[in-house]
Amino acid sequence: MIRTRLAFSPYVAIAIAAAAVAAVPVLSPDRYLLKVLVYVGVNVIVIAGLALLFGHAGQISMGHAAFVGIGAYTSAYCVGHVGLPWLVGALAGTALAAAGGLVLALPALRLRGHYLAMATLGFNEIMYVAFREARGITGGGDGLGGISYPEVAGLSIDSPVGVYLLVWGVALVVLLLVANILRSRPGRAMRALHATENGALACGIDTVGLKIRTFALSAGLAGLAGALYAHSVGFISPGTFGLDQSVIYVAIVVVGGAGSLAGPVLAAIALTLLPYADALIPGLGKDAVALLQDWEADIYGIAMIAVVILAPAGIGGLLTRLRIGRAGEAHV
Amino acid sequence: MGAELRIDGLCAGYGRVDVLRDVTLRVDAGEMVTLIGSNGAGKSTLLKAVAGLLRPAAGTVTLGGVPITGMAPERIVRQRLALVPEGRMLFGPLTVDENLLIGAHSRPARDAGVAADLERVRMLFPMLAERGAQISATLSGGEQQMLAVGRALMSGPEVLLLDEPSLGLAPRVIAAIFEALDTLRSEGLSILLVEQDAHLALRHADRGYVMRNGAIALEGPADKLRDDEQVRHAYLGGRPETRE
Repeated sequence: MIRTRLAFSPYVAIAIAAAAVAAVPVLSPDRYLLKVLVYVGVNVIVIAGLALLFGHAGQISMGHAAFVGIGAYTSAYCVGHVGLPWLVGALAGTALAAAGGLVLALPALRLRGHYLAMATLGFNEIMYVAFREARGITGGGDGLGGISYPEVAGLSIDSPVGVYLLVWGVALVVLLLVANILRSRPGRAMRALHATENGALACGIDTVGLKIRTFALSAGLAGLAGALYAHSVGFISPGTFGLDQSVIYVAIVVVGGAGSLAGPVLAAIALTLLPYADALIPGLGKDAVALLQDWEADIYGIAMIAVVILAPAGIGGLLTRLRIGRAGEAHV
Repeated sequence: MGAELRIDGLCAGYGRVDVLRDVTLRVDAGEMVTLIGSNGAGKSTLLKAVAGLLRPAAGTVTLGGVPITGMAPERIVRQRLALVPEGRMLFGPLTVDENLLIGAHSRPARDAGVAADLERVRMLFPMLAERGAQISATLSGGEQQMLAVGRALMSGPEVLLLDEPSLGLAPRVIAAIFEALDTLRSEGLSILLVEQDAHLALRHADRGYVMRNGAIALEGPADKLRDDEQVRHAYLGGRPETRE
Protein backbone atom coordinates (compact mmCIF):
# COMPACT_ATOMS: atom_id res chain seq x y z
CA MET A 1 0.00 0.00 0.00
CA ILE A 2 2.03 2.93 1.24
CA ARG A 3 5.79 2.59 1.33
CA THR A 4 7.23 4.52 4.21
CA ARG A 5 10.62 6.01 3.45
CA LEU A 6 13.10 3.83 5.22
CA ALA A 7 16.43 3.21 3.62
CA PHE A 8 17.97 1.56 6.64
CA SER A 9 15.96 -0.72 8.88
CA PRO A 10 16.33 -0.10 12.64
CA TYR A 11 16.36 -3.88 13.05
CA VAL A 12 19.59 -4.08 11.09
CA ALA A 13 21.06 -1.39 13.33
CA ILE A 14 19.95 -3.26 16.45
CA ALA A 15 21.42 -6.52 15.12
CA ILE A 16 24.75 -4.78 14.49
CA ALA A 17 24.60 -3.25 17.97
CA ALA A 18 23.91 -6.71 19.47
CA ALA A 19 27.00 -8.08 17.74
CA ALA A 20 29.07 -5.18 19.03
CA VAL A 21 27.74 -5.69 22.56
CA ALA A 22 28.68 -9.37 22.46
CA ALA A 23 32.11 -8.61 21.02
CA VAL A 24 33.24 -6.16 23.72
CA PRO A 25 33.87 -8.60 26.61
CA VAL A 26 35.64 -10.97 24.21
CA LEU A 27 37.95 -8.28 22.91
CA SER A 28 38.58 -6.52 26.20
CA PRO A 29 37.41 -8.00 29.50
CA ASP A 30 38.65 -4.88 31.31
CA ARG A 31 36.59 -4.41 34.52
CA TYR A 32 36.67 -0.64 34.39
CA LEU A 33 35.54 -0.52 30.75
CA LEU A 34 32.66 -2.93 31.48
CA LYS A 35 31.59 -0.84 34.47
CA VAL A 36 31.53 2.31 32.36
CA LEU A 37 29.61 0.50 29.64
CA VAL A 38 27.01 -0.63 32.19
CA TYR A 39 26.44 3.02 32.97
CA VAL A 40 26.18 3.76 29.24
CA GLY A 41 23.63 0.95 28.80
CA VAL A 42 21.51 2.30 31.66
CA ASN A 43 21.51 5.72 30.03
CA VAL A 44 20.60 4.23 26.65
CA ILE A 45 17.46 2.76 28.23
CA VAL A 46 16.50 6.10 29.78
CA ILE A 47 17.17 7.94 26.53
CA ALA A 48 15.14 5.44 24.47
CA GLY A 49 12.16 6.31 26.67
CA LEU A 50 12.80 10.04 26.57
CA ALA A 51 13.29 9.98 22.78
CA LEU A 52 9.79 8.50 22.61
CA LEU A 53 8.22 11.09 24.90
CA PHE A 54 10.20 14.22 24.08
CA GLY A 55 11.81 13.50 20.71
CA HIS A 56 8.72 12.04 19.08
CA ALA A 57 5.60 13.00 21.01
CA GLY A 58 7.04 16.46 21.76
CA GLN A 59 6.26 16.33 25.48
CA ILE A 60 9.23 17.60 27.44
CA SER A 61 10.15 16.03 30.76
CA MET A 62 12.73 17.65 32.98
CA GLY A 63 12.00 15.01 35.57
CA HIS A 64 13.31 11.79 34.11
CA ALA A 65 16.14 11.44 36.61
CA ALA A 66 13.46 11.26 39.30
CA PHE A 67 11.88 8.27 37.54
CA VAL A 68 15.27 6.57 37.39
CA GLY A 69 15.51 7.24 41.14
CA ILE A 70 12.04 5.83 41.82
CA GLY A 71 12.99 2.64 39.98
CA ALA A 72 16.34 2.39 41.75
CA TYR A 73 15.07 2.97 45.30
CA THR A 74 11.95 0.85 44.85
CA SER A 75 13.90 -2.11 43.57
CA ALA A 76 16.65 -1.74 46.18
CA TYR A 77 14.03 -1.55 48.96
CA CYS A 78 11.93 -4.46 47.68
CA VAL A 79 14.96 -6.72 47.42
CA GLY A 80 16.97 -5.44 50.40
CA HIS A 81 14.25 -4.83 53.02
CA VAL A 82 11.27 -6.87 51.87
CA GLY A 83 13.34 -9.75 50.56
CA LEU A 84 11.64 -10.10 47.21
CA PRO A 85 13.48 -11.66 44.26
CA TRP A 86 15.38 -9.19 42.07
CA LEU A 87 13.06 -9.65 39.07
CA VAL A 88 10.04 -8.75 41.20
CA GLY A 89 11.89 -5.76 42.65
CA ALA A 90 12.87 -4.52 39.20
CA LEU A 91 9.30 -4.94 37.97
CA ALA A 92 8.00 -3.07 41.02
CA GLY A 93 10.47 -0.25 40.35
CA THR A 94 9.37 -0.09 36.72
CA ALA A 95 5.70 -0.12 37.68
CA LEU A 96 6.03 2.56 40.35
CA ALA A 97 7.98 4.82 37.98
CA ALA A 98 5.30 4.27 35.33
CA ALA A 99 2.68 5.24 37.93
CA GLY A 100 4.72 8.38 38.59
CA GLY A 101 4.61 9.02 34.85
CA LEU A 102 0.82 8.81 34.96
CA VAL A 103 0.79 11.47 37.68
CA LEU A 104 3.12 13.68 35.67
CA ALA A 105 0.96 13.21 32.58
CA LEU A 106 -1.84 15.11 34.32
CA PRO A 107 -0.16 18.53 34.06
CA ALA A 108 0.93 17.58 30.52
CA LEU A 109 -2.73 17.49 29.53
CA ARG A 110 -3.01 21.20 30.24
CA LEU A 111 0.51 22.53 29.88
CA ARG A 112 2.78 22.88 26.88
CA GLY A 113 6.39 23.83 26.17
CA HIS A 114 8.06 25.88 28.86
CA TYR A 115 5.21 25.44 31.30
CA LEU A 116 5.37 21.67 31.05
CA ALA A 117 9.15 21.90 31.48
CA MET A 118 8.64 23.87 34.70
CA ALA A 119 6.04 21.43 36.04
CA THR A 120 8.23 18.39 35.41
CA LEU A 121 11.25 20.21 36.82
CA GLY A 122 9.26 20.81 39.99
CA PHE A 123 8.43 17.10 40.12
CA ASN A 124 12.14 16.24 40.00
CA GLU A 125 12.89 18.66 42.84
CA ILE A 126 10.10 17.21 44.97
CA MET A 127 11.33 13.67 44.38
CA TYR A 128 14.91 14.73 45.13
CA VAL A 129 13.82 16.02 48.51
CA ALA A 130 11.82 12.83 49.07
CA PHE A 131 14.86 10.66 48.27
CA ARG A 132 16.91 12.66 50.78
CA GLU A 133 14.35 12.81 53.55
CA ALA A 134 12.71 9.36 53.44
CA ARG A 135 15.70 7.93 55.31
CA GLY A 136 13.95 4.72 56.34
CA ILE A 137 13.67 3.67 52.71
CA THR A 138 16.38 5.55 50.88
CA GLY A 139 19.10 5.91 53.46
CA GLY A 140 18.90 9.68 53.11
CA GLY A 141 21.67 11.88 51.82
CA ASP A 142 24.36 9.34 52.70
CA GLY A 143 22.93 6.98 50.16
CA LEU A 144 22.00 3.35 50.20
CA GLY A 145 24.78 0.81 49.93
CA GLY A 146 25.20 -2.93 49.82
CA ILE A 147 22.50 -3.46 47.23
CA SER A 148 22.64 -7.06 46.07
CA TYR A 149 23.55 -8.05 42.54
CA PRO A 150 20.77 -8.89 40.08
CA GLU A 151 19.55 -12.45 40.41
CA VAL A 152 17.65 -14.41 37.81
CA ALA A 153 16.21 -17.84 38.64
CA GLY A 154 18.33 -18.17 41.75
CA LEU A 155 21.47 -17.37 39.81
CA SER A 156 23.32 -14.28 41.01
CA ILE A 157 24.73 -12.15 38.21
CA ASP A 158 27.74 -10.84 40.06
CA SER A 159 30.55 -10.84 37.50
CA PRO A 160 31.32 -7.64 35.58
CA VAL A 161 30.71 -9.44 32.28
CA GLY A 162 27.40 -10.84 33.54
CA VAL A 163 26.11 -7.47 34.70
CA TYR A 164 27.26 -5.87 31.47
CA LEU A 165 25.48 -8.48 29.35
CA LEU A 166 22.31 -8.21 31.46
CA VAL A 167 22.12 -4.42 31.17
CA TRP A 168 22.86 -4.37 27.46
CA GLY A 169 20.55 -7.31 26.81
CA VAL A 170 17.72 -5.34 28.40
CA ALA A 171 18.81 -2.18 26.55
CA LEU A 172 18.64 -3.95 23.18
CA VAL A 173 15.20 -5.39 23.95
CA VAL A 174 14.05 -1.90 24.94
CA LEU A 175 15.45 -0.42 21.71
CA LEU A 176 13.66 -3.11 19.73
CA LEU A 177 10.41 -2.32 21.55
CA VAL A 178 10.74 1.42 21.06
CA ALA A 179 11.73 1.06 17.40
CA ASN A 180 8.64 -1.10 16.92
CA ILE A 181 6.37 1.44 18.56
CA LEU A 182 7.83 4.23 16.46
CA ARG A 183 7.21 2.35 13.23
CA SER A 184 3.60 1.53 14.02
CA ARG A 185 0.39 3.47 14.61
CA PRO A 186 1.19 4.83 18.08
CA GLY A 187 4.53 6.15 16.77
CA ARG A 188 2.82 7.95 13.92
CA ALA A 189 0.25 9.36 16.33
CA MET A 190 3.08 10.67 18.55
CA ARG A 191 4.72 12.47 15.65
CA ALA A 192 1.33 13.86 14.65
CA LEU A 193 0.79 15.13 18.20
CA HIS A 194 4.24 16.74 18.09
CA ALA A 195 3.54 18.45 14.75
CA THR A 196 0.15 19.90 15.68
CA GLU A 197 -2.12 18.87 18.49
CA ASN A 198 -5.22 20.33 16.81
CA GLY A 199 -4.43 18.50 13.60
CA ALA A 200 -4.05 15.29 15.59
CA LEU A 201 -7.42 15.87 17.25
CA ALA A 202 -9.04 16.51 13.87
CA CYS A 203 -7.67 13.16 12.67
CA GLY A 204 -9.34 11.33 15.51
CA ILE A 205 -6.23 10.78 17.61
CA ASP A 206 -7.05 10.47 21.30
CA THR A 207 -4.37 12.94 22.38
CA VAL A 208 -5.25 12.67 26.07
CA GLY A 209 -4.82 8.90 26.12
CA LEU A 210 -1.73 9.12 23.95
CA LYS A 211 -0.01 11.58 26.28
CA ILE A 212 -0.86 9.51 29.36
CA ARG A 213 0.33 6.24 27.82
CA THR A 214 3.51 7.78 26.45
CA PHE A 215 4.39 9.43 29.76
CA ALA A 216 3.80 6.18 31.63
CA LEU A 217 5.83 4.09 29.20
CA SER A 218 8.70 6.58 29.12
CA ALA A 219 8.78 6.87 32.90
CA GLY A 220 8.54 3.09 33.25
CA LEU A 221 11.62 2.63 31.06
CA ALA A 222 13.48 5.17 33.21
CA GLY A 223 12.41 3.18 36.29
CA LEU A 224 13.65 -0.05 34.71
CA ALA A 225 16.99 1.63 33.99
CA GLY A 226 17.11 2.74 37.64
CA ALA A 227 16.47 -0.78 38.89
CA LEU A 228 19.29 -2.10 36.71
CA TYR A 229 21.58 0.70 37.83
CA ALA A 230 20.97 0.17 41.56
CA HIS A 231 21.78 -3.53 41.47
CA SER A 232 24.67 -3.20 39.02
CA VAL A 233 26.48 -0.49 40.95
CA GLY A 234 25.39 -1.57 44.43
CA PHE A 235 25.18 1.97 45.80
CA ILE A 236 22.72 4.80 45.11
CA SER A 237 22.35 8.30 46.52
CA PRO A 238 19.99 11.20 45.81
CA GLY A 239 22.68 13.14 43.91
CA THR A 240 22.45 10.71 41.01
CA PHE A 241 18.77 11.49 40.49
CA GLY A 242 18.85 15.28 40.69
CA LEU A 243 17.68 17.93 38.30
CA ASP A 244 21.13 18.24 36.68
CA GLN A 245 20.87 14.65 35.50
CA SER A 246 17.39 15.32 34.05
CA VAL A 247 18.82 18.29 32.17
CA ILE A 248 21.58 16.06 30.79
CA TYR A 249 18.97 13.57 29.56
CA VAL A 250 17.09 16.32 27.75
CA ALA A 251 20.38 17.63 26.32
CA ILE A 252 21.21 14.18 25.00
CA VAL A 253 17.88 13.94 23.16
CA VAL A 254 18.37 17.43 21.71
CA VAL A 255 21.91 16.64 20.57
CA GLY A 256 20.70 13.30 19.23
CA GLY A 257 17.84 14.90 17.36
CA ALA A 258 14.09 15.04 17.90
CA GLY A 259 12.20 12.57 15.75
CA SER A 260 15.07 10.08 15.77
CA LEU A 261 15.93 7.06 17.89
CA ALA A 262 19.40 6.23 16.55
CA GLY A 263 20.57 9.83 17.03
CA PRO A 264 19.75 10.10 20.74
CA VAL A 265 21.12 6.59 21.39
CA LEU A 266 24.43 7.53 19.75
CA ALA A 267 24.45 10.81 21.67
CA ALA A 268 23.78 8.91 24.91
CA ILE A 269 26.72 6.61 24.25
CA ALA A 270 29.08 9.44 23.28
CA LEU A 271 28.14 11.86 26.03
CA THR A 272 28.08 9.21 28.75
CA LEU A 273 31.51 7.94 27.71
CA LEU A 274 32.98 11.44 27.63
CA PRO A 275 33.94 11.74 31.32
CA TYR A 276 35.31 8.18 31.25
CA ALA A 277 37.36 8.60 28.11
CA ASP A 278 40.25 6.78 29.81
CA ALA A 279 38.27 3.55 29.67
CA LEU A 280 38.40 3.64 25.89
CA ILE A 281 41.78 5.28 25.41
CA PRO A 282 44.13 3.43 27.78
CA GLY A 283 47.03 5.86 27.31
CA LEU A 284 44.99 8.87 28.39
CA GLY A 285 46.58 10.65 31.35
CA LYS A 286 44.81 11.28 34.65
CA ASP A 287 45.07 15.04 34.09
CA ALA A 288 43.27 14.82 30.77
CA VAL A 289 40.47 12.77 32.35
CA ALA A 290 40.19 15.20 35.25
CA LEU A 291 39.97 18.05 32.76
CA LEU A 292 37.18 16.28 30.83
CA GLN A 293 35.30 15.62 34.05
CA ASP A 294 35.69 19.21 35.24
CA TRP A 295 34.45 20.54 31.93
CA GLU A 296 31.74 17.89 31.46
CA ALA A 297 28.80 20.26 31.89
CA ASP A 298 30.47 22.85 29.67
CA ILE A 299 31.07 20.31 26.93
CA TYR A 300 27.41 19.25 27.08
CA GLY A 301 26.38 22.89 26.89
CA ILE A 302 28.64 23.62 23.94
CA ALA A 303 27.42 20.48 22.17
CA MET A 304 23.84 21.63 22.64
CA ILE A 305 24.51 25.13 21.36
CA ALA A 306 26.46 23.76 18.41
CA VAL A 307 23.60 21.44 17.51
CA VAL A 308 20.96 24.14 17.79
CA ILE A 309 22.98 26.45 15.52
CA LEU A 310 24.67 24.05 13.11
CA ALA A 311 22.42 21.00 12.91
CA PRO A 312 19.02 21.67 14.46
CA ALA A 313 17.88 18.14 13.63
CA GLY A 314 20.76 16.74 15.70
CA ILE A 315 22.74 13.60 15.02
CA GLY A 316 19.56 11.94 13.76
CA GLY A 317 19.19 14.68 11.14
CA LEU A 318 22.78 14.19 10.02
CA LEU A 319 22.16 10.44 9.70
CA THR A 320 19.09 11.07 7.55
CA ARG A 321 21.06 13.49 5.36
CA LEU A 322 23.76 10.88 4.96
CA ARG A 323 21.19 8.30 3.93
CA ILE A 324 19.46 10.59 1.45
CA GLY A 325 22.84 11.59 0.05
CA ARG A 326 23.79 7.97 -0.54
CA ALA A 327 20.40 7.18 -2.09
CA GLY A 328 20.90 10.18 -4.40
CA GLU A 329 24.28 8.90 -5.52
CA ALA A 330 22.77 5.51 -6.23
CA HIS A 331 20.28 7.08 -8.62
CA VAL A 332 22.98 8.91 -10.57
CA MET B 1 -22.43 7.02 1.82
CA GLY B 2 -23.53 10.47 2.96
CA ALA B 3 -25.33 10.96 6.24
CA GLU B 4 -27.55 13.71 7.50
CA LEU B 5 -26.13 16.28 9.92
CA ARG B 6 -28.53 18.19 12.15
CA ILE B 7 -27.55 21.03 14.43
CA ASP B 8 -30.29 22.24 16.77
CA GLY B 9 -30.15 25.31 19.01
CA LEU B 10 -26.39 25.11 19.39
CA CYS B 11 -24.70 27.54 21.77
CA ALA B 12 -20.95 27.57 22.29
CA GLY B 13 -18.08 29.89 23.11
CA TYR B 14 -14.69 30.25 24.67
CA GLY B 15 -14.65 30.54 28.45
CA ARG B 16 -17.23 33.18 29.32
CA VAL B 17 -17.38 34.59 25.82
CA ASP B 18 -20.44 33.31 23.99
CA VAL B 19 -19.90 33.06 20.28
CA LEU B 20 -22.71 30.91 18.94
CA ARG B 21 -26.27 31.74 19.83
CA ASP B 22 -28.96 29.19 19.14
CA VAL B 23 -27.69 27.98 15.78
CA THR B 24 -29.92 25.60 13.88
CA LEU B 25 -28.64 24.15 10.64
CA ARG B 26 -29.03 20.99 8.65
CA VAL B 27 -27.14 19.20 5.91
CA ASP B 28 -29.18 16.50 4.20
CA ALA B 29 -27.51 13.31 3.07
CA GLY B 30 -25.49 13.98 -0.08
CA GLU B 31 -26.00 17.71 0.06
CA MET B 32 -23.39 20.49 -0.11
CA VAL B 33 -24.32 23.28 2.24
CA THR B 34 -22.30 26.42 2.71
CA LEU B 35 -22.08 28.67 5.71
CA ILE B 36 -21.01 32.19 4.80
CA GLY B 37 -20.50 35.29 6.84
CA SER B 38 -17.92 37.91 7.69
CA ASN B 39 -14.83 37.44 9.81
CA GLY B 40 -15.63 36.67 13.42
CA ALA B 41 -19.23 35.71 12.75
CA GLY B 42 -18.68 32.34 14.43
CA LYS B 43 -18.36 30.06 11.41
CA SER B 44 -15.18 28.32 12.54
CA THR B 45 -16.51 28.08 16.08
CA LEU B 46 -19.53 26.22 14.76
CA LEU B 47 -17.36 23.69 12.94
CA LYS B 48 -15.20 23.20 16.04
CA ALA B 49 -18.27 22.64 18.21
CA VAL B 50 -19.66 20.09 15.74
CA ALA B 51 -16.32 18.24 15.42
CA GLY B 52 -15.88 18.05 19.18
CA LEU B 53 -12.91 20.39 19.45
CA LEU B 54 -15.09 22.71 21.50
CA ARG B 55 -17.75 21.59 23.94
CA PRO B 56 -21.12 23.16 23.18
CA ALA B 57 -22.89 24.90 26.07
CA ALA B 58 -26.33 23.98 24.81
CA GLY B 59 -28.09 22.42 21.86
CA THR B 60 -27.71 19.13 20.05
CA VAL B 61 -25.79 17.75 17.10
CA THR B 62 -26.88 14.52 15.46
CA LEU B 63 -25.14 12.60 12.72
CA GLY B 64 -27.33 10.20 10.79
CA GLY B 65 -29.71 10.24 13.74
CA VAL B 66 -26.98 9.51 16.31
CA PRO B 67 -26.43 12.24 18.89
CA ILE B 68 -22.77 13.34 18.95
CA THR B 69 -23.11 16.48 21.07
CA GLY B 70 -20.11 17.00 23.33
CA MET B 71 -18.45 13.73 22.29
CA ALA B 72 -14.65 13.60 22.28
CA PRO B 73 -13.27 14.41 18.81
CA GLU B 74 -11.77 10.95 18.30
CA ARG B 75 -15.19 9.39 18.87
CA ILE B 76 -16.84 11.82 16.48
CA VAL B 77 -14.33 10.92 13.76
CA ARG B 78 -15.30 7.29 14.28
CA GLN B 79 -18.92 8.31 13.77
CA ARG B 80 -17.75 9.25 10.26
CA LEU B 81 -17.53 13.00 10.53
CA ALA B 82 -14.28 14.61 9.38
CA LEU B 83 -13.02 18.17 9.61
CA VAL B 84 -10.60 19.95 7.32
CA PRO B 85 -9.50 22.51 9.88
CA GLU B 86 -8.79 26.17 9.47
CA GLY B 87 -5.15 26.67 8.54
CA ARG B 88 -5.00 23.02 7.39
CA MET B 89 -3.10 21.79 10.49
CA LEU B 90 -0.99 19.37 8.52
CA PHE B 91 1.79 17.35 10.13
CA GLY B 92 4.50 19.46 8.53
CA PRO B 93 7.61 17.38 9.24
CA LEU B 94 5.89 14.20 8.05
CA THR B 95 5.56 12.98 4.48
CA VAL B 96 2.43 13.21 2.36
CA ASP B 97 1.86 9.46 2.77
CA GLU B 98 2.30 9.64 6.53
CA ASN B 99 -0.22 12.47 6.73
CA LEU B 100 -2.69 10.36 4.78
CA LEU B 101 -2.06 7.32 6.98
CA ILE B 102 -2.64 9.34 10.13
CA GLY B 103 -5.88 10.51 8.55
CA ALA B 104 -6.99 6.87 8.75
CA HIS B 105 -5.92 6.60 12.41
CA SER B 106 -9.50 6.17 13.61
CA ARG B 107 -9.97 3.02 11.54
CA PRO B 108 -8.73 -0.46 12.39
CA ALA B 109 -5.40 -1.30 10.74
CA ARG B 110 -6.95 -4.12 8.77
CA ASP B 111 -9.86 -2.04 7.46
CA ALA B 112 -9.97 -2.82 3.73
CA GLY B 113 -11.67 0.53 3.19
CA VAL B 114 -8.42 2.33 4.00
CA ALA B 115 -6.68 1.08 0.87
CA ALA B 116 -9.75 1.85 -1.22
CA ASP B 117 -9.98 5.37 0.21
CA LEU B 118 -6.28 5.93 -0.43
CA GLU B 119 -6.85 5.06 -4.09
CA ARG B 120 -9.85 7.37 -4.19
CA VAL B 121 -7.91 10.27 -2.66
CA ARG B 122 -5.06 9.76 -5.13
CA MET B 123 -7.54 9.72 -8.02
CA LEU B 124 -9.07 12.93 -6.71
CA PHE B 125 -5.68 14.66 -6.28
CA PRO B 126 -3.11 12.87 -8.49
CA MET B 127 -0.46 15.21 -7.08
CA LEU B 128 -0.70 13.34 -3.76
CA ALA B 129 0.21 10.07 -5.46
CA GLU B 130 3.23 11.62 -7.16
CA ARG B 131 4.51 13.29 -4.02
CA GLY B 132 3.91 10.56 -1.47
CA ALA B 133 7.42 10.67 -0.02
CA GLN B 134 7.68 14.46 0.07
CA ILE B 135 7.75 16.27 3.42
CA SER B 136 4.37 17.95 3.58
CA ALA B 137 5.70 21.30 4.84
CA THR B 138 7.49 21.70 1.51
CA LEU B 139 4.28 21.49 -0.54
CA SER B 140 2.77 24.65 -2.00
CA GLY B 141 -0.26 26.15 -0.27
CA GLY B 142 -2.67 24.63 -2.77
CA GLU B 143 -1.06 21.22 -2.51
CA GLN B 144 -1.21 21.43 1.27
CA GLN B 145 -4.93 22.19 1.09
CA MET B 146 -5.43 19.18 -1.16
CA LEU B 147 -3.53 17.06 1.33
CA ALA B 148 -5.67 18.41 4.16
CA VAL B 149 -8.82 17.39 2.28
CA GLY B 150 -7.27 14.03 1.39
CA ARG B 151 -6.26 13.39 4.98
CA ALA B 152 -9.81 14.09 6.18
CA LEU B 153 -11.20 11.70 3.53
CA MET B 154 -8.91 8.93 4.81
CA SER B 155 -11.12 8.58 7.89
CA GLY B 156 -13.91 7.44 5.55
CA PRO B 157 -16.36 10.22 6.46
CA GLU B 158 -20.05 10.42 5.66
CA VAL B 159 -20.05 14.11 6.50
CA LEU B 160 -17.14 16.41 5.62
CA LEU B 161 -16.68 19.82 7.24
CA LEU B 162 -14.34 22.29 5.56
CA ASP B 163 -13.08 25.51 7.10
CA GLU B 164 -12.14 28.09 4.45
CA PRO B 165 -10.44 25.79 1.97
CA SER B 166 -9.92 28.67 -0.52
CA LEU B 167 -8.08 30.95 1.89
CA GLY B 168 -4.90 32.44 0.42
CA LEU B 169 -4.89 30.23 -2.68
CA ALA B 170 -4.55 31.11 -6.38
CA PRO B 171 -7.81 31.01 -8.39
CA ARG B 172 -6.62 28.08 -10.48
CA VAL B 173 -5.90 26.00 -7.38
CA ILE B 174 -9.19 27.00 -5.80
CA ALA B 175 -10.98 25.82 -8.92
CA ALA B 176 -9.25 22.43 -8.67
CA ILE B 177 -10.21 22.01 -5.01
CA PHE B 178 -13.82 22.97 -5.62
CA GLU B 179 -13.99 20.65 -8.58
CA ALA B 180 -12.92 17.88 -6.21
CA LEU B 181 -15.63 18.91 -3.74
CA ASP B 182 -18.20 18.75 -6.53
CA THR B 183 -16.99 15.23 -7.33
CA LEU B 184 -17.26 14.18 -3.70
CA ARG B 185 -20.77 15.57 -3.47
CA SER B 186 -21.78 13.78 -6.66
CA GLU B 187 -20.49 10.57 -5.06
CA GLY B 188 -22.95 11.18 -2.23
CA LEU B 189 -20.81 12.76 0.52
CA SER B 190 -22.55 15.34 2.70
CA ILE B 191 -20.51 18.53 2.86
CA LEU B 192 -20.67 21.55 5.15
CA LEU B 193 -18.47 24.27 3.71
CA VAL B 194 -17.47 27.39 5.61
CA GLU B 195 -16.29 30.09 3.23
CA GLN B 196 -15.48 33.75 3.19
CA ASP B 197 -15.69 33.84 -0.59
CA ALA B 198 -19.47 33.86 -0.82
CA HIS B 199 -19.50 34.01 -4.62
CA LEU B 200 -17.52 30.85 -4.87
CA ALA B 201 -19.36 29.00 -2.13
CA LEU B 202 -22.82 29.83 -3.44
CA ARG B 203 -21.85 28.75 -6.96
CA HIS B 204 -21.02 25.25 -5.75
CA ALA B 205 -23.41 24.62 -2.86
CA ASP B 206 -26.99 23.40 -2.93
CA ARG B 207 -28.09 25.55 -0.02
CA GLY B 208 -26.56 28.24 2.11
CA TYR B 209 -26.76 29.82 5.53
CA VAL B 210 -25.59 33.33 6.34
CA MET B 211 -24.18 33.81 9.79
CA ARG B 212 -24.02 37.13 11.56
CA ASN B 213 -22.85 37.72 15.13
CA GLY B 214 -23.02 34.06 16.03
CA ALA B 215 -26.55 33.48 14.79
CA ILE B 216 -28.06 32.38 11.50
CA ALA B 217 -29.37 35.50 9.78
CA LEU B 218 -30.57 34.01 6.52
CA GLU B 219 -30.92 30.66 4.84
CA GLY B 220 -32.09 29.33 1.54
CA PRO B 221 -31.17 27.66 -1.73
CA ALA B 222 -27.79 28.84 -3.00
CA ASP B 223 -29.14 30.55 -6.11
CA LYS B 224 -31.78 32.41 -4.08
CA LEU B 225 -29.13 33.67 -1.68
CA ARG B 226 -26.98 34.80 -4.56
CA ASP B 227 -29.84 36.92 -5.84
CA ASP B 228 -30.80 38.17 -2.38
CA GLU B 229 -30.41 41.93 -2.09
CA GLN B 230 -29.13 41.77 1.51
CA VAL B 231 -26.59 39.04 0.83
CA ARG B 232 -25.40 40.70 -2.31
CA HIS B 233 -24.92 43.96 -0.50
CA ALA B 234 -23.14 42.53 2.52
CA TYR B 235 -21.10 39.66 1.12
CA LEU B 236 -21.00 39.85 -2.64
CA GLY B 237 -19.63 43.36 -2.96
CA GLY B 238 -22.99 44.93 -3.85
CA ARG B 239 -22.76 44.11 -7.54
CA PRO B 240 -24.83 41.58 -9.42
CA GLU B 241 -23.27 38.24 -10.16
CA THR B 242 -21.58 38.65 -13.52
CA ARG B 243 -19.23 35.71 -13.60
CA GLU B 244 -20.00 32.50 -15.50
